[in-house]
Amino acid sequence: MKFVISVLSSSNAPSTRRALRFAQAVLAAGHDIVRVFFYQDGVLTASNNLVVAQDQQDIAKQWQAFIAEHELDAVVCIAAALRRGVLDHSEAQRYQRDTVNLAEGYQLSGLGQLHDALQQADRFISFGGE
Amino acid sequence: MAKSVLLISRHAPWAGSDAGEALDIALAAGAFDLPLSILFMDDGVLQLLEQQLPRMLEQKDLSANLQALPMFGIEQLYVAQQCLNLRGLGDSCLAIAAERLDDQHIQQLLRQYDYVVTL
Amino acid sequence: MTTLHVLNASPSNAAQLSSCLRLMSAGDGLMLCGEAVQALRDGSAAAQQLLGGERAYQLYALEEDVLARGIDAAALSVTLVDYPAFVALCVDYARVNSWT
Repeated sequence: MKFVISVLSSSNAPSTRRALRFAQAVLAAGHDIVRVFFYQDGVLTASNNLVVAQDQQDIAKQWQAFIAEHELDAVVCIAAALRRGVLDHSEAQRYQRDTVNLAEGYQLSGLGQLHDALQQADRFISFGGE
Repeated sequence: MAKSVLLISRHAPWAGSDAGEALDIALAAGAFDLPLSILFMDDGVLQLLEQQLPRMLEQKDLSANLQALPMFGIEQLYVAQQCLNLRGLGDSCLAIAAERLDDQHIQQLLRQYDYVVTL
Repeated sequence: MTTLHVLNASPSNAAQLSSCLRLMSAGDGLMLCGEAVQALRDGSAAAQQLLGGERAYQLYALEEDVLARGIDAAALSVTLVDYPAFVALCVDYARVNSWT
């Protein structure tokens, strides 16, 4: 089966860790992930600027590693990202901001990518809130 | 045939970004000509009320986006009657035309769509 | 076409549980994770909601969340699932409706 997974909370939320463990189980079961779409506060999970205490799980780093390992299509909604201060090089230039903080492996794009993924997939699940 | 989406919008208009970000999903579907309907329930029903003054909160008026939905091909709007009743709004006029559904009809509605996306 | 509803909010904070129970159809699934597993606490108002009515749906809970909170879910007939089983449920049900 083909899954679309949406992450709606920052990496501090339990739901974002749950999303990752779910995504890992999806691939372990032999299913495909068409796209992981980061929306609402989920765009903050794609930040490269997080500092996590040594005795805590760095869920953002784990998401990034998971995406890289499996070459997943990880899209971050550009409108949601801009309004929360997550920018790639191109947007930082466009809006003359000092910081490029979109982590490697993520792409900024529009909600059309969510709909495109839904059209290709069989199942959609989102993880947000706490 | 394109896969259909039922978007369930559950949050009040200016209680954070949820209402606006749910509407953005609908507008994006419309822009790509994809079948999407919206069900307003829980505090989401408050998005449909008349005589609201978002400018008092220096907030954007979402009703402009809601009114634009048919232009984007999003014509099926539903509202949970029971949620209106619970908020003392059972008989209120709505600023946006939406079909009022009781719980049983909402159960049936959900079964008609390939995806349900709740924000 | 059945739906797996996934809840994660505390039953005392959010309207997720009551709202969800109203729009569930016979044959649907209800999956509790995160703080939503508090609804399994024996004697709680939320547990009463789950016990009440004809319960034409299947009840599931994410095992790690139940164990983490020291909840004894024996009073309710709930199936505890791990992540592989959670994925399998998403395949079995025609669609997944996650509440936030």
